[in-house]
Amino acid sequence: MEKKHKVLIANRGEIAVRIMQACRRLGLDFVAVYTAGDASSGHVRLARELGGERALYRISSYHDANELLSVADAAEATAVHPGYGFFAEDFRFARRVTERDRRLVFIGPSWRVIRELGDKINTKRLARSLGVPTVPGSDRPIYDELEAEKVARSLFDFQLQQGVTQPLVLVKASAGGGGMGIEEVYDIDVFRSVYRRIRNYAMRQFKDEGVLIEQRIRDFNHLEVQIVSDRTGKRPVHFGTRNCSIQSTGLQKRLEVAPGFDPSSIEYGFDAAALLESITSHSLAMARKVGYDNVGTWEWIVTREGHPFLMEVNTRIQVENGVSASIARVRGEQVDLIAEQLRVGLGQPLGYGQEDISFEGVGVEYRIIAEDPAAGFTPWVGDIERFEWESRPWLTLHTHVPPVSPEEPYSIPTEFDPNLALAILWGKDLAEVRERGLNFLDSLRLEGHDAKGSPLRSDVDFLRAGTARILRFS
Amino acid sequence: MIDISSLLESIKAEPYTELSVRAPHTGVVRFEGLQPGQRVNGPGGEWKEVPGTLIATITRENNPKPVAAADKGVIQAIHTGLDGKFVEAGAELGVLRHYLSRDEVVRMLLRESLSLFCAPERAKYYFVPDIDKKVKISGSRTVSVQDGMELFIASRMKREIPLCYTGPEGIIYEVYFNQNENVDTGSPLIGVCPPDQRGVIEDVIARVQMEWVEME
Amino acid sequence: MDWDKQLHQLTERLNYVRDIFADKHQEDIGLLEKRLAELRQGIEAGTVTKPREGLSTLEDLFFFMECKLEDRLTPMDKVRIVRHPQRICLRDILENVYDNYTEIGGQDEHTNDPAMLIARAYITRRRGRKVFHQSVLVIGHEKGHGEEFRNGGSAKPWGNAKVQHYMQVAETEGIPVHAYVFTPGGDPVEDYPGAAQQIARNIYEMAGLEVPVVAIFSEGGSGGAEAIALADRRLMFSHGYYSVISPEGAAAIEGRLKRGERASAELVERCAANLHLTAEDNVRFGYIDRIIQEPVLGARPYHFEFFRTIRQEVIRATDEVVLGIRGFAPMRGTALRRLRDRELNLDEMYVRWNLSRKARRRLVEKRQKHFLRISRGACLNRRSLWGRLSDAWAEQWWELYNRLIYDFYHRKRRSFSNALEEVESEWDLLKRRITAPWRTLRRTFGKKREASAATEKELTTLSEWDRTEERGDWAWVTARAKEDRAITCPNTGVHGCMDLWAPDLYNEFAGVCATCGHHFPMEYQWLMYNCFDQNSLFEFNAEMESGNPLDFPGMDTRLADAREKTGLKSACITLEARVDGTQIVAAILTASFRGGSVGAAEGAKLVAAAERARRKRYPFIVYCHGTAGIRIQEGTHGLVQMPRCTVAVRRYIEAGGLYLVIYDTQSYGGPVASFLGCSSYQFAIRSSNIGFAGPGVIKNTTGRDIPPDYHNCFQALSRGHIQGVWDRRDVRANLRQALMTMGGRNLYYR
Repeated sequence: MEKKHKVLIANRGEIAVRIMQACRRLGLDFVAVYTAGDASSGHVRLARELGGERALYRISSYHDANELLSVADAAEATAVHPGYGFFAEDFRFARRVTERDRRLVFIGPSWRVIRELGDKINTKRLARSLGVPTVPGSDRPIYDELEAEKVARSLFDFQLQQGVTQPLVLVKASAGGGGMGIEEVYDIDVFRSVYRRIRNYAMRQFKDEGVLIEQRIRDFNHLEVQIVSDRTGKRPVHFGTRNCSIQSTGLQKRLEVAPGFDPSSIEYGFDAAALLESITSHSLAMARKVGYDNVGTWEWIVTREGHPFLMEVNTRIQVENGVSASIARVRGEQVDLIAEQLRVGLGQPLGYGQEDISFEGVGVEYRIIAEDPAAGFTPWVGDIERFEWESRPWLTLHTHVPPVSPEEPYSIPTEFDPNLALAILWGKDLAEVRERGLNFLDSLRLEGHDAKGSPLRSDVDFLRAGTARILRFS
Repeated sequence: MIDISSLLESIKAEPYTELSVRAPHTGVVRFEGLQPGQRVNGPGGEWKEVPGTLIATITRENNPKPVAAADKGVIQAIHTGLDGKFVEAGAELGVLRHYLSRDEVVRMLLRESLSLFCAPERAKYYFVPDIDKKVKISGSRTVSVQDGMELFIASRMKREIPLCYTGPEGIIYEVYFNQNENVDTGSPLIGVCPPDQRGVIEDVIARVQMEWVEME
Repeated sequence: MDWDKQLHQLTERLNYVRDIFADKHQEDIGLLEKRLAELRQGIEAGTVTKPREGLSTLEDLFFFMECKLEDRLTPMDKVRIVRHPQRICLRDILENVYDNYTEIGGQDEHTNDPAMLIARAYITRRRGRKVFHQSVLVIGHEKGHGEEFRNGGSAKPWGNAKVQHYMQVAETEGIPVHAYVFTPGGDPVEDYPGAAQQIARNIYEMAGLEVPVVAIFSEGGSGGAEAIALADRRLMFSHGYYSVISPEGAAAIEGRLKRGERASAELVERCAANLHLTAEDNVRFGYIDRIIQEPVLGARPYHFEFFRTIRQEVIRATDEVVLGIRGFAPMRGTALRRLRDRELNLDEMYVRWNLSRKARRRLVEKRQKHFLRISRGACLNRRSLWGRLSDAWAEQWWELYNRLIYDFYHRKRRSFSNALEEVESEWDLLKRRITAPWRTLRRTFGKKREASAATEKELTTLSEWDRTEERGDWAWVTARAKEDRAITCPNTGVHGCMDLWAPDLYNEFAGVCATCGHHFPMEYQWLMYNCFDQNSLFEFNAEMESGNPLDFPGMDTRLADAREKTGLKSACITLEARVDGTQIVAAILTASFRGGSVGAAEGAKLVAAAERARRKRYPFIVYCHGTAGIRIQEGTHGLVQMPRCTVAVRRYIEAGGLYLVIYDTQSYGGPVASFLGCSSYQFAIRSSNIGFAGPGVIKNTTGRDIPPDYHNCFQALSRGHIQGVWDRRDVRANLRQALMTMGGRNLYYR
């Protein structure tokens, strides 16, 4: 890097801590932000420790792009790292960062790529044009009732032929999102009424009658392919696959494993090795096609029968990047994907090819969250008084919770998700990592009280139960 | 029940509140040349359509934004050292001394004499929709509440939980929270006036009307 | 004590003179004052021996002085005459001009609007021994000699609605309408259905009212006057005024005064002169047909002779209207010629006032043609002679072509194809019934497996689809989208909206706040290029140019500035365009050219556009990007565009078209109260404010403060003025929807 860069870390909590550490490792300056309600977070403490007061600014909201950019200018930052959440997949933010009068580097894909892959219909069509398998159904909004019914009818027939006993069809408003305007159809005879309901809803809500019709797939595993590419966008590499199937009832990930399947110790009803090979090569093909130029994740679902379907592309670094890094070696060395992201984001060439990347063992990541799995994973809010674990060579723990004691507790801020820590463990095979996982969870001490005096609730027991079903179809 | 006289005396000893004028967000501050001792006005007009006295302008992303006085009063301090500098969100720009009006004194005293229902935890609070409508259309004092009635929605971490009122039966005399703002644990949400307390409340109001002399 | 009464009368006359001349002509008035005081003193002290003689000398002096001052009346003095509480009012006229009358729906303040008076009256005429009672409907404003509750003759919307209703009654009963205009302007109160909306409905009603209408102007104050003045004959009192705005209002605008400030007397005087608001001026312009000469220094209730003049003149006017369209043409000429004889006592001849159905239609046609013709010379048309000739030729061709295509060919073709369709569907039904058993057989034993590969291919591979509308890319983007800056939404206090980045806001978001949906105002080009199909715009009449017909001082340079700034020649752009393939005629009032005010050029273009839409059988869309009202610097040349354009759109609507109005930004004043407001399909983009008078004008004229959202489009929707509020981003879709679902029988695109 010819120019000395200064990175604005436009995020909070655990990811902010990790970006700071990565900047440190690469010898980059950084500037961090915080809000009044979040002043006791570990990332604020670390920023002060590493960068001093000049590296820390109080802003009114993490959601306000104007605040972030005005701080970037005041601190003379040259690049912005959005982390995940907030502005990570907002192409308008990326566009503004790179097209304003005082231009900054956006540590993430270029805004056109974010926009292209941020649109699910567009992604699906792009995938199909390359022969990448996607969920059967329409790949464009349908406006005609007869055509819609024809698609739905063939979807039912198709599922029956595939041996699906209870075929389901999903009808959703193409302009919608976030679960609004989606309904399941179990019988072709009720299709028309559902279709009309959704179409009218879409017309009222979005002024667009377009409707998508897809197969509703049940009983699947959620796999991801980690892609990294430099600014040329020509030679993307993959850092293996992950399995993120163990989720809360709200479909939020709680436990991730790399690699995506382990045919060496588990028997699958299909050729798992070939399947992993096929989804990585499909993902790379798409990345090459769009000129993908940063880190990103291709999300897949794999049915019990071994059919893969591309779901969507996340154009950002993900929470669970560490679990992929834990099993990957570049020319035998450990990697930090956030540091790699910063490096390629600032314009350095990747410097290695797929042949330099090797994989070793099995990695598991636990998300330790203050919540009550028994009550539908409702967030728990209160003071943390004790948070201890045994340090091990095979364990990396990322947290923004500062050291706590009953005298000096940490209050969980109410504005954000109550994530406390990420624990990443490594073992040479599945059996070892499973044992180490249980070992870790047993040794974890996490205590606290809320305002009413009831004790802290966490998902530790859920994670313990989950450890048993790692990489299986349950 | 409560000693209104002594309370009133203590307010009279210090008949003002000090309001801190803060930067709403980051940006470069320019002061408008007001000096300590000068009077400023809050938003005025029949519909509050006239903004308060301009104290400073804060420019962020080439967008100058006025920082106006939120209430009328006298400027106590103005941190002119910040002029032309970049400030963080929430930085104090000056201090305003606001002399209490009759209504405000009444509100302060009522807070002591009404039966308060407090926030059980830090969250954003809303009235349940039908109560909300009633409050918006005809004012909170038309709403009567009783123990166990579902009255609020507490919203935190993107989840909404219904909250029941507990306490004596009566009408909602005062509302202490704003929508879209977090309420801390233990802060009052509403003040309820039980029917048998009406006399006391009216007495408080009458006394303030008689005894309180507004300054400015 | 006879002399006492006379002295009192003279004092009143003196006060009147003093009032109408404000502080001028002190010398003459002082003389009168001195002589009057002397005489009074003398009589009271008993030193004057012959009070009667003294009085008559003084009276002569008064008359002499009044005549002298009469010659020196300025336009502003006339305004003061008209406003004086001693001026005759409508009730005086009803008492003295008509032979009998009944006031309808009003006893002093006990009426829904005491400023508007309605009466049924009759005029008695005789021919030889025969006596005829001729009924008329008398409508008009009542100022009531300064009675407070009359609101100075400013009618509220419900007063105008009352008039609209009784005009319909008159139409049913077939009696003429006499409209007396005694108003400084309409009251800008925006209650159901809104001041502007009701005035528009009145004008629209009168544009097709099938009975003779005679309007008599005393005080013709802008829109309030037009609400009852679209007449076959327009008479005017010689000391009256007819103006687009009060001289004070014009002075406030000319002097760029802030709310609450008062203009200097000198400036007001100058504005009154510049507005050319007197009877002579308006006769010269052709907006008034005849002047009724008043007594010296204006008519007051004791000028009984004058009422007789009025009576003769309204009878003559009504007779002329009726004779002008009735019956046998050669006879008409002689009858009309006879009427022109001023010596003739019209009470002693009789002309029947009821009309046959055909005559009624001729009456309306004549009135409409008259209003379409007026004010033609008040704007500039720079189109070359050759261009005009070819235009005229094209017009004729379109007329002929459409007659042929639509009225003849399409009608025949449609009836043929309708018949064919019926046969086809019958055949289809029959075929299905016959083949039904065969199809069930095939379904049960059909080969399923074979289809599966094709099905799978269909469901999992790429389908044909071309994305015509690229997301977030507008055809036209404002220059404001190039600035690197943040913009604050005015609703941030309520909805907590974040500041928006100008390039996002003005380009992709189309000027709409992403959080609360607040609409920032956009340029007219935004809608023009993003709502109409690309490359479909064809502007016509671009050579029509706003002029300065009154030679208003400074107006020429201001027009030149506006031309340079906007590149336009007037505030109105008329064009042909397509909306999703459907041909339309559109007129755009642009707020950037002198506030979008409407003058003679704009009116002429609107009239031409409506005519073109009718001829070509296209929908007619007026996009009112913004209008500040009638252009006051054109005076009555501007004001008459209200009836004129309304007549044009009424003719278009009645020919079976779709007339659609879309509001944006600020729309106030005359245009809203006439040709815009009369549309049955008015829609507003969310950024709109719509009303009769803007907040500043309301404060200046009535002293009332109004809430900040008084003219907001949602208020306009609630009170029934407009028919819908549109999101700017959906204008195109909504317009397409409107074209498919609204409009009259003559739209042949469907």
